[in-house]
Amino acid sequence: MAPRWKGETAEAKEPMSVIVSKLQTSLIESNAQGLLSGCAVLLEALPEQTELLYRACIGRPLITAEKDKKQWHQLSFEEALYLCCVLKCIKIAGENKCAKSNDELWHYMMVKRVGFPVMFKAYSHLRRKNWVVRAGSQYGVDYVAYRYHPAFVHSEYAVLALPDDEDGGSENSRLKVWSDFHCTLRLCGSVAKTLLVLHISRNGEDDVVSLSSLEHYSVEERVVTRWNPEVSRDAK
Amino acid sequence: MMETNTSQSFSSDDGVYDCDSDSESFVEDSLDDELCFASGDFPKLQFRKERSKVWWIEELGMAEVLEKKGKMWITTGISRNGKTYCSIEETLYLAEIGALDVLNVDDTPLLLSDLYAKLAEDREKYGCSWESFEVYRCLKYLGYIVGRHGVAWSMKNMKNKTNADDSVGESCSITDKGNVDYGFITDMFNNMHLGGTRPIFDVFPPNSKFRKSSSGDPSFMVCRASGHPPSRQEIEDIETCCGRIPLKLYVVEHGRVSFLSFTKVELPALP
Repeated sequence: MAPRWKGETAEAKEPMSVIVSKLQTSLIESNAQGLLSGCAVLLEALPEQTELLYRACIGRPLITAEKDKKQWHQLSFEEALYLCCVLKCIKIAGENKCAKSNDELWHYMMVKRVGFPVMFKAYSHLRRKNWVVRAGSQYGVDYVAYRYHPAFVHSEYAVLALPDDEDGGSENSRLKVWSDFHCTLRLCGSVAKTLLVLHISRNGEDDVVSLSSLEHYSVEERVVTRWNPEVSRDAK
Repeated sequence: MMETNTSQSFSSDDGVYDCDSDSESFVEDSLDDELCFASGDFPKLQFRKERSKVWWIEELGMAEVLEKKGKMWITTGISRNGKTYCSIEETLYLAEIGALDVLNVDDTPLLLSDLYAKLAEDREKYGCSWESFEVYRCLKYLGYIVGRHGVAWSMKNMKNKTNADDSVGESCSITDKGNVDYGFITDMFNNMHLGGTRPIFDVFPPNSKFRKSSSGDPSFMVCRASGHPPSRQEIEDIETCCGRIPLKLYVVEHGRVSFLSFTKVELPALP
């Protein structure tokens, strides 16, 4: 499926890489620190950061009556870890208000979420390419990927992050029988998204996953579509 | 002659199903909250004009109400010995909507960031995690009356008493700030088994005639699902726990709350 723009094309807008870069700078300058809570990270942001978080499509704002100009945002593990360990623009603290190390964060998140390493590899793989990545649970997939901010474009891909079979990926088992495929494809079709499967391979890295070993993982992108011979017959 | 089955249409009472998903009309991202940050998943929020006042009491893990403003106190907080106490989720919810001033016992203010910090990490020090708070907030916005499972709204509410409660009334003697006996806090935290599926909240329908002294049974109980979807046995175990009250499991992912019911049925045998 070709990208579907809403209104003007993205060419008229600032590239995502620039938006993310501005956000990164602003967060570093203000020594931004997030609060780790359950399966989320809460971040108090200045007005310019709130604007940039919105434009970069990172996090969700919390609706409160706070009169103060600062706005609270809720980040998922992937978003928070991406800002903290990849863009290196926020610190994340726990209850004691002391910033946690990357390893501490990694360990905490791995324990809290099944299959987190594979999920995070998929998330950062797409974000590094400047795709907008959001949660896909309402579509029955891991993520939805947009070419730009969803206000300007319809999402193109429904994304599933699957570990390679050799890695014994029983933790993140999806698409295991044909009915899974039919179900997912049907759902994706109904919401005009193409199913994108990211096959994440350990490449022989150790069983114990650390943030640094994730660098050596590889990602293969495959799109799963149903071909209808009747429709295609007269076309090329 | 080649036979193709790929675009068969099935007629049924529900209409015509076309196997070819490409030709289906598609649903716009109608629930796409990316586009409506202002309203999010919730109806328009009404921030309160008048603020009530509470003291957060750390040893108790609850807030003691000092000044009440507004009718929300009919459905918020538990009554013990003539005073009202709020759980962390009630306190945080009211603070978020601007209905509450939260103070330390030395009258210094407790900010929203301090309250969020009380749900930090995974400690559940006060019996509530961030995700449980999201569920609480979601239901409160919609007008439901939500209480901590197994905790009586008031001591006059006989139906919700557990065996432990008989001694709670007597052991709870609150004289002044310096000499308190918070025996009843065991109510709040003795249901905490770490991990696993367990009922967290009792939910009552929106009801202006709700009374803490005679709340009746909840319409349903809300249980936290653990990391994996539950097995049939786990569902059965939690149903035993809830007795005859229906239960719903909640799953919170990326700030989105889903409620699921796993209802046992018996399909009728048809002629």
